[in-house]
Amino acid sequence: MEWLIFGFLSLWLLVSVFGTLFLKNPVHVILAFLSVILAIAGIFLHLGAELLAGLQLIIYAVAIIVFYVLVITTIPWEKVKKFEGIYKREALLAVPFLLISFLPIAYMVLEGKFAVSERVITEGNIRSVGKTLFTNYLFPFEVASVILLTAMIGAILLGRKEE
Amino acid sequence: MKIEIAYTLISIFLFLSGLFGVIIRKNLITLLVSTELMLNGVNLGLVSMDKMVGGVEGQVFALFVLTVAAAEVAVGLGLVVAIFRLRGYESSSEITQLRD
Repeated sequence: MEWLIFGFLSLWLLVSVFGTLFLKNPVHVILAFLSVILAIAGIFLHLGAELLAGLQLIIYAVAIIVFYVLVITTIPWEKVKKFEGIYKREALLAVPFLLISFLPIAYMVLEGKFAVSERVITEGNIRSVGKTLFTNYLFPFEVASVILLTAMIGAILLGRKEE
Repeated sequence: MKIEIAYTLISIFLFLSGLFGVIIRKNLITLLVSTELMLNGVNLGLVSMDKMVGGVEGQVFALFVLTVAAAEVAVGLGLVVAIFRLRGYESSSEITQLRD
């Protein structure tokens, strides 16, 4: 049963990834990317990370996708349509490079031994993630808010019209 | 083979296909979508490793990756809008100057 869910989710993910890579129209690419995000949220649920599945749906599938669609509506459509498609020669050159970089990593993952921690998590996923986030990782959490503020100011500065 | 290892292989494939998209795409918006694919691959790898090792730190790091993805898409799309408005550059190979 577990492998059945794995097969379904990973097949969905692979089809959506190929759609994201090779579709021509940018709106279709964004729809395929939305499908990728939904598949990854399903994988997170399967792996037992419920908090991240919900955050993936809220942040990616709502905020970021809507942002992309908003930017596409801002730019004139002829300009978006003018350069679409892929670089053929670079694609042919990139395939063997990525293949020979995939194989050693996959070999290391398959043959390596992983550390096994002694901890047994008895409480729920959201409670344990929240406890870890607000005790051990409180300072990076605050730094993340500063990063978001900086990005917001930078986006406003970049996006305004030149007088 | 455990199922976390299979998901780790899927995550490596996702990261590399995002890199492939960054290399081959012409349009700037689809190029940014490919970087989002790379970030999703990193998240998937972190969560599957977390399931294998049995902790929650990987999920905390994945949450920070989500934050950085939101910041990156804000700044990146601002840059894309500025580039499209500037001189009518559209293709990723035409942008060879940092200023006019």
